[in-house]
Order: sequence, then structure tokens, then C-alpha cells
Amino acid sequence: MHRIPALLALLLAVAAAAPAAAAPKARPAPARSSAALTPAAFKVERQTLPNGLVVLMHEDHSVPTVTFWQWFKVGSRNERPGITGISHYFEHMMFNGSKNVAPKEYDRIIESSGGYSNAFTDYDMTAYYEDIASDRLEVLFRLDADRMAGLTLDPAVLKSEIEVVKEERRLRTENDISGMLDEQLYAAAFVSSPYGWPTVGWMGDLERMKREELVEYFRTYYAPNNCILVLTGDFDSKTVLAQITRHFGPIPAQPAPARPVNSEPVQNGERRVEVRYPAENVSFQVGYKAPAVGDADVPVLDILDSILGDGESSRLHRALVYEKQIALGVGSFFATRLEPTLFEFVVEMKPGHTAAAGDSALSEVLERLAKEGPTPRELQKAKNLVEAGFVKSLKTNNGVGQQIGFFEHVYGDHREMFRLLDRYRTVTAADCQRVARAIFRPERRTIAVLVPVGEDGAGATPP
Amino acid sequence: MTATLIGRARRGVVAVIVAALLVPAAASTVTAATTPAAATSRLTLPPATRATLKSGLAVVIVPTPRLPLVDFRLVVRAGSVNDPDGKEGLASLTADLLTQGAGSRTAVQIAEDIAFVGGTLTAGGGAEQLVVACEVLTKDFGIGLELLRDVIVSPSFPAEEFERKQAETIGAIQSARNDPATIADLALGPFLLGKSPLAHPAIGWEKSVAAITRDDVVRFHATHLQPNRALLAVVGDVDPKTVLAALETAFAGWKGGDERAGDAYQPVPQTSGHRVLIVRKPEVNQTQIRLACIGVPRNHPDYFPIRVANTILGAGFTSRLVNEIRVNQGLTYSISSRFGMFRNAGTYAITTFTKNETLRKTIDATFAEVKKLRDQGPTPEEVNKAKRFLTGQFPLGLQAPDDLAAQILDQDFYGLEPDWLQAFSARIDAVTIEDVRRALKSYFCVDDMRILVVSNPETARAALEGLGPIEVREPQ
Repeated sequence: MHRIPALLALLLAVAAAAPAAAAPKARPAPARSSAALTPAAFKVERQTLPNGLVVLMHEDHSVPTVTFWQWFKVGSRNERPGITGISHYFEHMMFNGSKNVAPKEYDRIIESSGGYSNAFTDYDMTAYYEDIASDRLEVLFRLDADRMAGLTLDPAVLKSEIEVVKEERRLRTENDISGMLDEQLYAAAFVSSPYGWPTVGWMGDLERMKREELVEYFRTYYAPNNCILVLTGDFDSKTVLAQITRHFGPIPAQPAPARPVNSEPVQNGERRVEVRYPAENVSFQVGYKAPAVGDADVPVLDILDSILGDGESSRLHRALVYEKQIALGVGSFFATRLEPTLFEFVVEMKPGHTAAAGDSALSEVLERLAKEGPTPRELQKAKNLVEAGFVKSLKTNNGVGQQIGFFEHVYGDHREMFRLLDRYRTVTAADCQRVARAIFRPERRTIAVLVPVGEDGAGATPP
Repeated sequence: MTATLIGRARRGVVAVIVAALLVPAAASTVTAATTPAAATSRLTLPPATRATLKSGLAVVIVPTPRLPLVDFRLVVRAGSVNDPDGKEGLASLTADLLTQGAGSRTAVQIAEDIAFVGGTLTAGGGAEQLVVACEVLTKDFGIGLELLRDVIVSPSFPAEEFERKQAETIGAIQSARNDPATIADLALGPFLLGKSPLAHPAIGWEKSVAAITRDDVVRFHATHLQPNRALLAVVGDVDPKTVLAALETAFAGWKGGDERAGDAYQPVPQTSGHRVLIVRKPEVNQTQIRLACIGVPRNHPDYFPIRVANTILGAGFTSRLVNEIRVNQGLTYSISSRFGMFRNAGTYAITTFTKNETLRKTIDATFAEVKKLRDQGPTPEEVNKAKRFLTGQFPLGLQAPDDLAAQILDQDFYGLEPDWLQAFSARIDAVTIEDVRRALKSYFCVDDMRILVVSNPETARAALEGLGPIEVREPQ
């Protein structure tokens, strides 16, 4: 799914004329005039503190709560062999003690204030959020400024928490088939790019990580000038900015981190990797090399992602699940990232059907799209899905904050979310055809196949 | 769309699923201080318009103009509890087929028309609710309502779609045996609930799904999808008067039977003594663990004390279980306790996992923690914290129109007080420490827990020796 589809303005009644007219037997819509989702109406105030900390604020007083996001511009992309998984380890340790907040106190104080906190780590970012009642907001600034100012990294807590991380790796990767394939797909596809190692880290690295490495990593990447704060919901920007300045302002900036090394060579031939593991059925993942954010074709790839993989009417579902009836499920996935990445396909075959059959059906769909391009209705449908998807992503304060933070970090400017929508509107069938030809090239693809074996590892069925 | 994970959340607490969980995903948490949660006192829900259409369908309309979206949600009082013996999976398969041909449209046309407006249309069958949901931009209200109405009132159940979905369902049941957590969740129902109609997974068993015919589906639809057994919510950027008129027209032709739906199942007797079930999965290096007892029905007089007590034990990140099993001992990434509440019965289960080597240690430490809380009771600070967490998180579940629709319909479905949502925080605030102590002693069993693990049978058997009678089974 697109991490962030796009936009809004179109949704206004006028702009939406095309889809409405095409809807069969539509009845008159009992619409009220809703708040306009336009760049002008969707106000985001942006401030930068002297220490480089960026603050983005979007007020919405419909529910008496606030979501507070902190986007640190660090993810597994910033790691190196030997310390893979360190970014994600921080995601855990950020809840485990800072200068004035003892271990366990962070969660206790937040939950005692009726709040909820969580976080995620990905290749390009580590993002933390809290949902809390409006009148409790300042509690968060105190806690979060304290951990940005200095983590304790208590050796006993480090030792216990790494065991928790290892259980997380066992859950998501070592005992999960799609997790195993995903890890192997990226490891096989990339030979220099930092996307070649998993965000959760290799087990060996989790076992060897040292406290000094954590201390150094924290100083470099958890500095205020490497962070974006996003507030959405029921608050007053002026008051909140003063509070943020008071709590976060004194934290010193650090030298800007170096850009990660990425000397990924061009791929000139298919790469294939097998995972042999007990399973009821075959599944596989395919990745084609795809460009990073900033490339003019990225919006076209979002549209292709929708045409190929969004819902039961998508090309892949129609071909593999509905017509050939050889797969239980199929999906496409393209996320906008800071480094060149993969345009991925995930296929789970029906028991009794081979990966070869699935792969050939997948290739057939891709070749046909590259050869003929989408139909006009199909292209319009993709645009409508992407645009409606954006509106749906704004249903909660949390969702709004996630969009703003993502665009500010990955696209370098939160306002890009509106520009991206404009760009989607201009995508043509010829663009889709051209980009499909450029991306879905056999020599630029990697395939990871789950080969089912018996419990003892023997008796492989043909993939 | 895909299965790939975007983020690797630190805490995604794995939800326990027994049969089909209809419990509001409650949030949880806490409190500390003595002040009531200020935010919730300011919570004002938009006014709801309730009506019964001429066809007998009860509807509720709630305007929420924040985004140009509208959500429809129809809940029918029917589910896997109504599956005939030997045809387990019928309710779920019927629900799946609603969108695969209806009115004048084929399956492909339905998928195409809803996607063309960027909307979603889904149907699914749980234990005792069959839910059809549709979300569209407000300007597409007309097409959304038309598709929703057609799939509910006039599905065509084409023979070839029936065969395709039946085969897909059997494939999905087989493929579910790849995933240890799913195996555990599906096996827990029968192990805990025995022969109750609540016990089997909504998706059914391979054999029982294979035994279902298209006629069974047609009959299930005719019997159960009736206006006087259904509730419809419309929430979003809409004008209630106009919506009501549109609903009256759309559902005018929906004919119902005379009788009200009866209850398809009875309360389930409490378990007694430990029993152990090992579901074989020799290749795993991490064991999925479920510890469970019979719980309470949704409309239980001690609902609020139970919520507070359960928050203290196993919800949120500062619960007793998370604190001891995850934070202090590093035995797991996630542990939670949860009450699954249905109309006439319920379940109570603790869900966790750990590497195979620490299986017994994790179970013993978990039992010890529950016992300690039951015997010694919570501290006043914990009770306060749990109340604040619950009341603080409550408004978050009402912000998105689809979430609000689900909450409102649950209130009606389970026959709760009409002011239930509005009064939630006050009722949580009224819970005393004595209420919590009593709830812990009455509903949080330890010695009678069923113990289910998905693991290597040899190492698991050795580890669990002495806990109770052990049975080993293949995943179903």
C-alpha cells in the first residue's frame, strides 16, 4: 500500500465530477458542505527552534485530544554491518530511563495521565507518538525532552531489553514465513545499500551490540536538529510552542550526521533465493529495483501500485485469484523511501499450486501492462483510490500527524502532500506504460521463494 | 496492498482472538491522580437520529462533518453460532459471498464500481455478528448505499462464485496452519468451550466447509438476513433527514420474517482444574502460549470493575504482566490479558509467547503474577491509573466515523443503556478498589486455566510435566 497517498482537494464536490458521473445509478448525495480539505484550509504552522528542532502544528478541535509525534531521522538505513538493529533497539530503550525519569516511570506517568504511547522503526525513520487528553499535553514535553537530552542506557536494563527484542525478531521473522521471505528478498536484492539488512537486525548483531556503540549512536542521531515534532488536535499553537521551547530549547544541537554510504551497483540479472521451511503451501515475493523519493516517476509508481494491487478489482487479484484461481492472495507494495528501493509483489499460492505457475502469471500481468498501458477508466479508478485513501488516512489526529511527519521527513516538506496530489492528477496512461517498461525488467528483479519441506527438512515438494 | 510490515512497533500487543472477538478494543489505561479525566468530561457526541424503517430495520444516523466521508455499517444478529453441525463455516462463507454478485451486478462489477469511487465494501461473519460495511466519499453516498443494499438484500450467489470461494476458504484454512499464533487462536475455542456453538472458528474446518452447498448458503441468507434482525448505522458528513429518506427508499423491498432471532447458544460452564493441550509445530523456536478460562457475557453487571481489573493485570504497558514477564524478566515481546465478551457467554485469556527454552518459566511466572494480584489486590494508585487510562483513551475510539459506527451499534446489539457511550467515563470513575478486588476474585481464575501451547511436542511435554493432563494434537 502506498505509505501516503495523496490528497484532498479533489474531493470537493466540483472536482469530483468525473467519478460521480460515472457511478452507475447514483442517487443524489445528501452531502453537507464539509470542511474543505485544501492546502489553504489545511493549516500547518512550521517553526524551527534555534537548536534546529522543527515543530509542525495542525489544530483540530473536534475531539479533546492531541497526538504528539516525534520523527527522528534515523532508521536501519543509518546503521552499518555489526550494529544492525541498533535503531530499533533504541526504539525500545527510549522508554527505559532518562536523566530525570527512572526506568518504568515514562510509561507509568503517561498511562496515569490517560495517555498511550508507541513507536515504529523502519529503514528511514524512527517515529514515536503519544495520544493524550488535551489538558495533559505538557507532561509529554517534560518526558520527551528529558529522553532527548540524555538516555540512561542502564546496563541491567540493556541486558533485559535485548531479550525482548530477540523475542520480537523470533515472532516477526524466524517463525513467520512472510517475515523470512521479506528479509531474504532485501538481503539478496541489495549488495551495498543499507536496505540489505533487516530493520530488526541480524540475531548475531543483537547478541554482540555494545553500550559504547549505543552511546555514540544516540549522540549522533537523537539530536534536536535531527528531529521533527508534529502536533495535531485540540491545542493552542502559541501556548504549545512556548512550552516546547521551554522544554526542548535548551538541548544542544549536534553536527549533522553524515549521509549513509550507498554504493549499490546496477543489477544486471535476476537473483533468486529459496527458503526451505515446513509449510502447507508455496508463497513468494518479487522485488524490482525502483527509484528513491525525488525521482519524477515516483507518483507514477504509486498509481501503478494501485492498478496492480489495490483490491479485488486490481489486475493481479483478477488474474491470479479470480480468473486462474491459483493464488489465495496477491498484493503489490511500493513505499516512497530515501534510498532506491524495491517495487514488491507478495503472492501466496493455493495449496497444490507451484511458484512457477504464480510467477509466470505475475509476469504476464506486468508484461501486458507495460505493453498496453492501463485503460482510461482503470487510470481514473487508481487516481480516485489514491485520493480517497489520503482522506481516509486523516480520520484521526494520529493519522494526520503521521502524514505530516512522513512528508516533512521523506519529501523534505510537509506541503509536498498537496503537490503530490496535483502530480497524481496529471499522470497519463503513457506515463504508466513507460514507467512499467522501465521498472518491471527481468534483469532488475529478485525473487524469494518459500519451498515447503517436511518437519525434518526433507521431502521438498517442487516449488 | 500487501502483507509487508511497514513499521516494527515496539509494542504491538498481539490481540487474543477466540472465535471472533467482538469486544471493543479497549484501550486502556490509567491513572494516577485524583482528578477525573478532564478530556472525557468535555466529550460530547454528535446527536444520533434513531428510527425504524417501514421494513423493520432499525437505523441510527450520526452526522460528523469533519471529513467528506460516510460510513455505513450493518450488523445482523447471525454468525458462526448459527452454523449447523457438520457445516461449520456457513455463516462466514455466506458473508463472504454477499459481495460476489448482487442485484444486477456480477462479482467483478461490484468490485469495480466500489473501487472506482475509491470506496470499500466488505462483508464478514464472526461468532454472533455478520457485518457489512461500506465507506465512500460523501459525494458517492448514492452508489455506496446502492451497493450496500444490493449485497444485503439481493445477493445472487452465482454457482461459480460459490465454488471459487469455497475452494479459497479451504485453502485459507490450510494456509492458516503456517502461522503459530493463528493455530493457537483457532485451537483455543474448542479446547476451552467444548461443544458450545461458540467454540469453532468462524471460518470453519476443512471438512465442514467442503460439506457446505450453495443451497445451504441461500437458505442461511433467507433465514438470517432479515431487517428485524439487523441494525444499520450511517456515520459521516451527512444530513440525517436526507439520509433517512434515502434509507427508507433503498430498503423498502426488504422483507422480514415475523419471529425475532432466538439465542443460538447457552452460557458455558466454567472449567475446572488445569488441562494442557500441545499443538504440534516441531519447527518453531518460539512457543505460542494461551492460558484461558470461561469469562462473562458482554452485558454483565460487573463489566466496569472487570475492565479496570483487567487493565491492571494485562492491558497497557504498565500492567502487572507486562511489568513482570516482559520488562523485569525479558521473557517475551508481548503479554496481555483479555475478556472476549459475547451475548450469552465469554472468555478470559492471557496471550503471550517465548522462546522454547523458557516456556515453563514464563507460564509459572505468569500464574504467580495473577495469583499475587488476586490474593493481595491492587494498590490504590494502580486502580487510579487504570481508570485514568481507560477514560483517557476512550474518546480516541470515537474519532473515526467507522469506529464510532461500530461503538454505537455494539451499544444497541448488546442491549446496553442508551447513554452507554456518554456515561462510560463516569461509570469507570465510579469503580472502587473493593469492586476491583471482588472482580479479581470472581472472574480471574488461575488454577482452572486451560493451558494451550503451539510448540515442539517433545520439548513442550518435558517442560509442562506436572501442570495437568497433557494432550498432544496436530493443528487442524
